[in-house]
Amino acid sequence: MKRPEIRPITLPKVPHYTTLPTDSGAPLYTLHNSTQGVVRVSFVFRAGTSYQSTPFSASAVVNTLTEGTQNFSGREIAEGLDFVGSYYDANIDRDWAVVTFCSLKKFTSETLDIAEEVILRPTFPEREIASYCAKRKEQLIVQRSKPDQLSRELFGKALFGEKHPYGITSHEECYDNLTPEILREFYLSHYNSSSAFAIICGDFGEDVEERVRQILNNLPKGEAPSRIIPPAEPTTLARQTMEGAVQSSIKIGIPLFPRTHQDFIPLQVLATAMGGYFGSRLMQNLREEHGYTYGAYAAMINLDQSGYFVMSAEVAGDHTQDAIDEMFSELERIATEPMSEEELAIVRKIIVGDAMRVFDGPFGAADVTIENIQNGETNDYTERFLKKIEEITPAELQEIAGRYLQKNACVTTIIGAE
Amino acid sequence: MIDYKEHQLSNGLRVLANYDECSVMAAVNLLYEVGSRDEEPSKTGFAHLFEHLMFRGTKSVPDFDVPVEEVAGENNAFTSADYTNYYITTPKDNYETALWLEADRMMGLNITAEKLALEKSVVIEEFNQRFLNRPYGEQWHTLREMVYTVHPYRSPVIGLTPDHIRDASLEDVRAFYERYYNPSNAILSVSGNIPAEQIFEAAERYFGSLPALPRPTRNTSLTEPAITAPRRKVIEAAVPANQITIAFLMGSRGTRDYYLCDLLTDLLAGGESARIYQHLVRERQIFSAANAYITGEMDKGLLILTGQLNPSTSFEEAEEALYGELRRLVEEPVGDYELRKVQNKFEANITFGELNVMNKAMNLGYYRMLGDMSLLNGEVDIFRSITSEEIASYIKDNLNPHQSATLIYKKK
Repeated sequence: MKRPEIRPITLPKVPHYTTLPTDSGAPLYTLHNSTQGVVRVSFVFRAGTSYQSTPFSASAVVNTLTEGTQNFSGREIAEGLDFVGSYYDANIDRDWAVVTFCSLKKFTSETLDIAEEVILRPTFPEREIASYCAKRKEQLIVQRSKPDQLSRELFGKALFGEKHPYGITSHEECYDNLTPEILREFYLSHYNSSSAFAIICGDFGEDVEERVRQILNNLPKGEAPSRIIPPAEPTTLARQTMEGAVQSSIKIGIPLFPRTHQDFIPLQVLATAMGGYFGSRLMQNLREEHGYTYGAYAAMINLDQSGYFVMSAEVAGDHTQDAIDEMFSELERIATEPMSEEELAIVRKIIVGDAMRVFDGPFGAADVTIENIQNGETNDYTERFLKKIEEITPAELQEIAGRYLQKNACVTTIIGAE
Repeated sequence: MIDYKEHQLSNGLRVLANYDECSVMAAVNLLYEVGSRDEEPSKTGFAHLFEHLMFRGTKSVPDFDVPVEEVAGENNAFTSADYTNYYITTPKDNYETALWLEADRMMGLNITAEKLALEKSVVIEEFNQRFLNRPYGEQWHTLREMVYTVHPYRSPVIGLTPDHIRDASLEDVRAFYERYYNPSNAILSVSGNIPAEQIFEAAERYFGSLPALPRPTRNTSLTEPAITAPRRKVIEAAVPANQITIAFLMGSRGTRDYYLCDLLTDLLAGGESARIYQHLVRERQIFSAANAYITGEMDKGLLILTGQLNPSTSFEEAEEALYGELRRLVEEPVGDYELRKVQNKFEANITFGELNVMNKAMNLGYYRMLGDMSLLNGEVDIFRSITSEEIASYIKDNLNPHQSATLIYKKK
């Protein structure tokens, strides 16, 4: 059977959002796509874990906003959302906390009744906070018996430093010291009009815009949250054995810079070539040639004040060193040999395809927009990004790889088999 | 709500098409009616190993992933107890590449001893990563062995042991491929901004010349006998927390009992406001996490109640608390409000689950396999017709300790 011709891929049109003014100064962005009968509202705050002075307080705040408010108990909030089939998601990373409500169009109003309470009037009730802390402590103990969690934590510490806001991890006992007062204080100073923005996406009218605008207008007034992010203090090698492990979890990374740096996009292309798809170099080498692993990956990670390149794999214990050697040899190869035009063509398509898949469905555009705004950009960034992907050359990539992807800059962490 | 049109090729391939005018992507889904239940007891894990081999190239396409990547596509697959599912998403103008690739590997797979050896080691690492190198990793192996005495659901999809995967031979590969991978045993479904007639015409072009082979008969005669006395096992292991899991056999897919079980586990654990979470995690703080769900197979699957115990909870207390929630559903019939809540949630979940082309194509294939396309858009109505009396009587008759298998993990 003859292969069908490859039709040229038209780059996705990046949807443009509208910015609506609010009295509080916290911006409201809207993105209309009216075919699916669903609405998503996200509230975004500069309230990630790097802002906290008490361990676990930032995540505790975002995770317990729904545990009780001035007018509703935690149970009533859960009932109200479940009754209309809306879902709620609270998400936190080192820099940002994001609270999202998704509902059927016909239940947007009921959902916003609850959103308003959750965003503006959380009370952090004593009993619920105690129960949350006890539960999370147990869950963290469970998590920390798993190699992937330990690996993430060890890597963060090795990459940035044990006390660094982007690398620090805390003992689970620290949950015992969290109090409602600490949470309230963090809420007031980080969930305010200078720290927030919101986005509405989907099928909605002016009534919904007005309601969300009112929520933003009523946020506590305050200064933008501040923090100090010192330079990374990397450790070259950290290893931790885990009793009974049959695999080792390996991470190799290089501290670099955030997405706003001009070399970030080329490094994203390099990371994709290394481990961003099935045919990538690490996957081909570690999985397809050697069978050391089920999967090997690489990525550029963006943080507000930093960023890093990372390669990772969970490999058969007796091939730990072999796998590390292969990872370094791939790193050396990408920095010393130009990428073929064929490989670059594939990598381009992987990146464009991923971008297009994000826009399949009504809510992907919201995620893209949130990320752009967090980085101080507009959605023009995504268009520039796609254009840069088309234009980049093997020579430029090799030069960038040679500059940044050096073995002696790497941090290696290993969790697992002895 | 998914609109679709359907067509069958003369070689038996069933083709379904959904028209989505919004998406720039198209999804091509190919479902084969073969899963781990079709394996021989001494060769478990084979259907899944075979799924991996389907990416190992044919005579005309030595590397499956390259043409997919050349059209900015993405592909993957999964194996369940009942079926094996392959899917490819591409920008919609290039969806024919996906049809071509699927047609090509339906008949032209080329597996050598080297490829098989390599894939075995990958799958064994998957076994290690997901089932051995994890606390509670072996729980599904143990639980399924406790519940299923005759039915092939006894073996998890990954297989009973890595040894079965190590022992797989080229002869096994050839026989399995010949028996199950042919047009009459497959369902092709496509969702995208493409008219159905074009999809049917393209399906004919790529798949029409493949031979009409008999549809393999599946072993559907084995019925797992009911559990009549409590089964219980305690595993002492280096796990982070004590855990209890109670499993019951439930109705097969398509029976009313199936939907009863689905709805009653939603009452117990479908969302933050659900009973187990509110009563046992929040109020009584017996568990740090607890859940209730169904495993969803075609034949009798499992209804699961499970929880991780808080340090101060005893196993007796935990078990009694879970049964207590079942008893309450019998003694105090569920009110209309609560029933409406789980029914609304069911409907919303279906809407949220149909927002992209991949899920739509996948659903089309799955419901075609079930054999009753009216279920594709009809399950909300079934869910809405369930009454509290039905739930109570189901629990009374079917969810008692003597009908259960209980697996306890005791922290060492």
